Amino acid sequence: MNAIKPLEILLVEDNSGDVRLTREALKEGKLRNNLHVISNGMEALDFLHRNGIYIAAPRPDLILLDLNLPRKNGQEVLAEIKADDILKRIPVVVLTTSQQEQDILKGYGLHANCYIVKPLDLEQFISVVHKIEDFWLVMVALPSRQGGNS
Amino acid sequence: MGVGLELYGMHRDNDEFPIEISLSPLETEEGLLVSAAIRDATAHKRSEEALKRSNAELEKFAYIISHDLQEPLRMITSYLTLLQRRYADNLDSDANEFIYYAVDGAQRMRLMIQDLLAYSRVGTQALHIELTDCETVLQEALDNLHASISESNSIVTHDPLPTLTVNPTQIIRLIQNLISNAIKFRGERPAQIHISARRDPQNWLFSVRDNGIGIEPQYAQRIFEIFQRLHTREQYPGTGIGLAICKRIVERHGGRIWVESQIGQGSTFYFTLPVFAQLNHIGGDDECDQTA
Repeated sequence: MNAIKPLEILLVEDNSGDVRLTREALKEGKLRNNLHVISNGMEALDFLHRNGIYIAAPRPDLILLDLNLPRKNGQEVLAEIKADDILKRIPVVVLTTSQQEQDILKGYGLHANCYIVKPLDLEQFISVVHKIEDFWLVMVALPSRQGGNS
Repeated sequence: MGVGLELYGMHRDNDEFPIEISLSPLETEEGLLVSAAIRDATAHKRSEEALKRSNAELEKFAYIISHDLQEPLRMITSYLTLLQRRYADNLDSDANEFIYYAVDGAQRMRLMIQDLLAYSRVGTQALHIELTDCETVLQEALDNLHASISESNSIVTHDPLPTLTVNPTQIIRLIQNLISNAIKFRGERPAQIHISARRDPQNWLFSVRDNGIGIEPQYAQRIFEIFQRLHTREQYPGTGIGLAICKRIVERHGGRIWVESQIGQGSTFYFTLPVFAQLNHIGGDDECDQTA
């Protein structure tokens, strides 16, 4: 059974090529979703706090966060999200190109819900996006939708 | 003396400077004495530090190459693949072939970048050496190659192998590359690979023998160079860095590597590893930490 409301996904990513790839992958997926794309860390936080032009922004069900962002970097954004009493409940999937041990450690240390290294291959990238959807938006029970979507 | 220790002397004006001390026995009429030589190592230390800095920079440069260059490559590969998927019906066979070559080129570039990084790491990583059982090393290499060994029905045998002071990770890599090549270049019949080791006063001489396609004598040196290949990629895949890495590892340990081969019969790769560990500066830093 599909959700009545489409799921709100916030993608914080500055690489427009990757944004498009994520969009295409989500289009091929099963879930109705609204993808909100913000390309820098400061605006992402404005969106989440509903500041200024984002006053009517929906609360995301899931945040996909790239670490390499201009100005406020992904790790700082992550830290601020997980320090906020309301925002910290939103699952954050760090989706990034770095497979350096120190970045992975830091991500989990800042309470990322999970850390995924972007696959180099298109098919795998699409598959990863679908698996993120399946896991975080179907299987997992999220605060605003008790017991998943079935 | 004092490998791994920082020793300092002091000038009369209380200025400290690094020193090296060496001791040698001296037979005299009064019995065994020790002669000690103390050398001002300031110049040596300075050049060591310069080397360390340049290594750190090389390592950073290699990381930049391998990491930052991969993103644009990923864009090329992903979007060409997406193009193919989305417009498959509108693309004729020429278009598909053009896209294929573009994607293939990008993927090969990615492999070469990864290989270059691996190659540069052999020289720049601090070499931690320890007493290593080469039988265990061989077993680990075989475990890593398990899938390709069973798919190709290859048989790997070995004589007893020694325990010596080396960097285990690099020696696993060395042996794994040699066995992997033996499997890859096997020709028509299943690969039969034999590893043995023999000691002479200074070195252990290892050999990895196969029954594969062999190598012509005029190419015996070239195969150890980076990205030098003797066959087309269609015949045998790979970037041509495996043996260059082997050579770097062996030389870093103070040994030599070479091949003896007969076309159509097979090849034997020989390499030496000194019995008493020594480390060479092939653009590497010589901090070594001996645990015996």
